[in-house]
Amino acid sequence: MAATTSASNAAVSDSQGPASPGSSADNPTIQYSVILDHLIGDKRPIKDPNPAVLGGLPVPPKSNEQKMIERGMESCAFKSVLACVGGFVLGGAFGIFTAGIDTNVGFDPKDPLRTPTAREVLKDMGQRGMSYAKNFAIVGAMFSCTECIIESHRGKSDWKNAVYSGCVTGGAIGFRAGLKAGVLGCGGFAAFSAAIEYYLR
Amino acid sequence: MDPMKAQQLAAELEVEMMADMYNRMTNACHRKCVPPHYKEPELTKGESVCLDRCVAKYLDLHEKLGRKLTELSVQDEEMMRKAAVGSGH
Repeated sequence: MAATTSASNAAVSDSQGPASPGSSADNPTIQYSVILDHLIGDKRPIKDPNPAVLGGLPVPPKSNEQKMIERGMESCAFKSVLACVGGFVLGGAFGIFTAGIDTNVGFDPKDPLRTPTAREVLKDMGQRGMSYAKNFAIVGAMFSCTECIIESHRGKSDWKNAVYSGCVTGGAIGFRAGLKAGVLGCGGFAAFSAAIEYYLR
Repeated sequence: MDPMKAQQLAAELEVEMMADMYNRMTNACHRKCVPPHYKEPELTKGESVCLDRCVAKYLDLHEKLGRKLTELSVQDEEMMRKAAVGSGH
């Protein structure tokens, strides 16, 4: 700023150049402040930013509903709901599968030698499947939600997001059993997430 | 300089200025926010959040610097006018 003012002083003191205001009409003066007001300042015209004019590719404008739908599908809430549902289905399948290969299904503690009926076995399998499904759903929703929040906060998408959210999820799950279990859960789940990310990337 | 001429000149310069600003903004934000990995064609959540912030900051900067430049050029013109009046007498 000091350089420009001293330069303008020097220019004016050298000669009455064409830039001095009020000079002859055949050399119109340019008053930058007025032009800047019309370009950048308060008097600029309101324009519709069309990328075709500005230099990008002409793209058909998206309607408001489309924008809202896209914003909803990218949001953290939608992603965590999706992970919750997916976790529920996967957990149910996994639970029923492990119940299928488990020899203790349908075990009746009052009469251990009796073979259980098909209905009892099925009921037990369903209960186990439901319990696994609920656990998986909660874990999936928590992991997805925390990963989305951490990624939104950092503004980058790399493997560290999964590791941090794995630590948070594992820590939250383990914390209910005490601090040490929480730390172990954090480390374990973070390592698991890191392995999955390494495989995926 | 009368406002009409200033407005006309500004209208001519505006298209070029906006195109230039758009190009620079696209380049800068792309360089800062999109790492050259290209594992998938869609923008991830982190990248789109970063781009939103980058564009907001760029436009904010553009506006603030424009105002500062207008202020400085007003001061410059005042000084030149005083010097012209002073040396004219």
